[in-house]
Amino acid sequence: MTQPFLSIRKLRKAFGAFTAVHDVTLDIPKGEFLTFLGPSGSGKSTTLYAIAGFQDPSSGDVLLEGKSLLAVPPHKRNIGMVFQRYTLFPHLSVAENVAFPLRVRRRPEAEVKRKVADMLGLVRLESFAERLPGALSGGQQQRVALARALAYDPPILLMDEPLSALDKKLREEIQAEIRRIHRETGVTILYVTHDQEEALHLSDRIALFRDGRIEQTGTGEDLYLRPATDFVAGFIGNSNFLAAEHLETVGGAATIRLGDGSLVSGISANGRFERGQKTRLMIRPEAFRLERSPTSAELAVEIVDVAFYGERRRIVARTAAGQEIDIRPTSAAMASQEATPRHRQVFFDPGAAFLFPA
Amino acid sequence: MSVETQRSIATMRMPGGLGSLLPALILIGLFFVVPVLALLLRSVTEPAPGLQNYSALLGDGTYARVFFNTFLVAAVVTIVTVLVAFPVAWMLAIMPPALASIVFGVIILSMWTNLLTRTYAWMVLLQRTGVINRALMASGIIDQPLPLINNLTGVTIGMVYIMLPFMILPLVGTLRAIDPMTLRAAALCGASPFQAFRRILLPLSLPGIAAGGLMVFVMSLGYFVTPALLGGTSNMMLAEMIAQMIQSLLNWGLGSAAAFILLVVTMALYALQLRLVGARRATGGA
Repeated sequence: MTQPFLSIRKLRKAFGAFTAVHDVTLDIPKGEFLTFLGPSGSGKSTTLYAIAGFQDPSSGDVLLEGKSLLAVPPHKRNIGMVFQRYTLFPHLSVAENVAFPLRVRRRPEAEVKRKVADMLGLVRLESFAERLPGALSGGQQQRVALARALAYDPPILLMDEPLSALDKKLREEIQAEIRRIHRETGVTILYVTHDQEEALHLSDRIALFRDGRIEQTGTGEDLYLRPATDFVAGFIGNSNFLAAEHLETVGGAATIRLGDGSLVSGISANGRFERGQKTRLMIRPEAFRLERSPTSAELAVEIVDVAFYGERRRIVARTAAGQEIDIRPTSAAMASQEATPRHRQVFFDPGAAFLFPA
Repeated sequence: MSVETQRSIATMRMPGGLGSLLPALILIGLFFVVPVLALLLRSVTEPAPGLQNYSALLGDGTYARVFFNTFLVAAVVTIVTVLVAFPVAWMLAIMPPALASIVFGVIILSMWTNLLTRTYAWMVLLQRTGVINRALMASGIIDQPLPLINNLTGVTIGMVYIMLPFMILPLVGTLRAIDPMTLRAAALCGASPFQAFRRILLPLSLPGIAAGGLMVFVMSLGYFVTPALLGGTSNMMLAEMIAQMIQSLLNWGLGSAAAFILLVVTMALYALQLRLVGARRATGGA
């Protein structure tokens, strides 16, 4: 078996009686962009800080190319990190900030100069070399921080919510920058965020944290289309949960009875369910169709509201059982007059609906 | 609305004419400007008009020694105070706030304790048969008492103790403004604890060190009680000399001239610091 590049083994961190991280185990191949996603307090930052060396884990291990990092102090780990807050050295110019890791490593002056120029080119801030960090915008400061963290070619780059202090437009701009830099440098990136959209479009793989445990690890598509738990389904994207009674499961395809008494077969079942067990059926808002198809299941709803959201419409509808659901057909799929029948059928593919315990 | 706000700020900043400043101006004039002018006048008129007091002070080797000694003591005290205050200030800056305020309270309390009491306490501790020498001799570390009093050592110990709060307070302010994450970032960049201190923490705390250092240096230049009680005759300081000139020799002219020189030096140092701090601000804002 090949040895994983970075390996987190049964990592546990307790603060007194509170356990922030429960036995997290994860292997990260070289060059991967992996995101720790989760609500605040889910242990994602604590795990990252244990890798950086700022938190001593209560038990477990962190291995880089098979060697434990735990006994190595932070300044000898050779890891790059970009923090949530701006942590540039305020008394040093942009160029000197980027040069700092090279200077403390006593690299020759010519190499420092060349590397600083390369890095500032990478983050496109060549013309700001002589400025002090205080004279830069938040986005520029984080780009300098990125250049500083990459200047010494670290094998791993840690990023702890680096964009959370920036506004939306700037955030998107720097996300594109981060993707480009990951492509160009091939550095392994561990990225922490609570923003699912950011996680979805930046990462190769996402580890979704909840209460100090990893709920599911997989590509964004895995998490979105094949959520392992209702927590994952609820956290990634928008979801409708309909109350349903489980009747039987044959070969992973469940048959259920919805609140209005209608039967639906061919549902993707997550786990084992008893006959008659109360369950929740998860359907993504955009999985609903307004047109019937040969395989589709149907649901009778009353349209409450229709709003125009550009490429999509957002329909708020109420089921016969009185549950409100969110439906997002493309605007092209639905002319505005179609909203007029207040009572109508909507359709969904049972394979795109998931059953979870209630 | 913003115009309204600007206007109200403008009226707020407008003092009620010079009239409202008058009491303060009179107070400053009467109690600060007039006495200094009187001092200056005395120094050039007694015993006879002319600059002979100044030429006597600046030309004479004995007086020059006192000046030199004054600056030496002030410099040594300042350096030692910085060295002792820095770790204390750093500890205060990173301590949990509740605990830090207790420690602050203790430091402030020591400032409120009578100066003379504190200096006498040091005499008790430092003298030949004092607590420190006895303890050291009893434990067999030394067999002769250390000369801890009536010399530069005694003055330095006593004055550093008194000056510490004046160094710690501005330094804590500067250190607290430094984001501890900056130091973590330095560590991950590969800086050893010493490199992080030398290249990041120290440069960032320089404004606090400069402010506290100047305050301690200037206060030390004019200090009287502690050097008089803990120092020896061979390292007399300026304040002691002025006291002697006026009290024992009744030479008001010479004493005034010495006091005036001290004042000028102090103000020159203050101006120098303003310039340095100003220059730092200017480059910092660029």
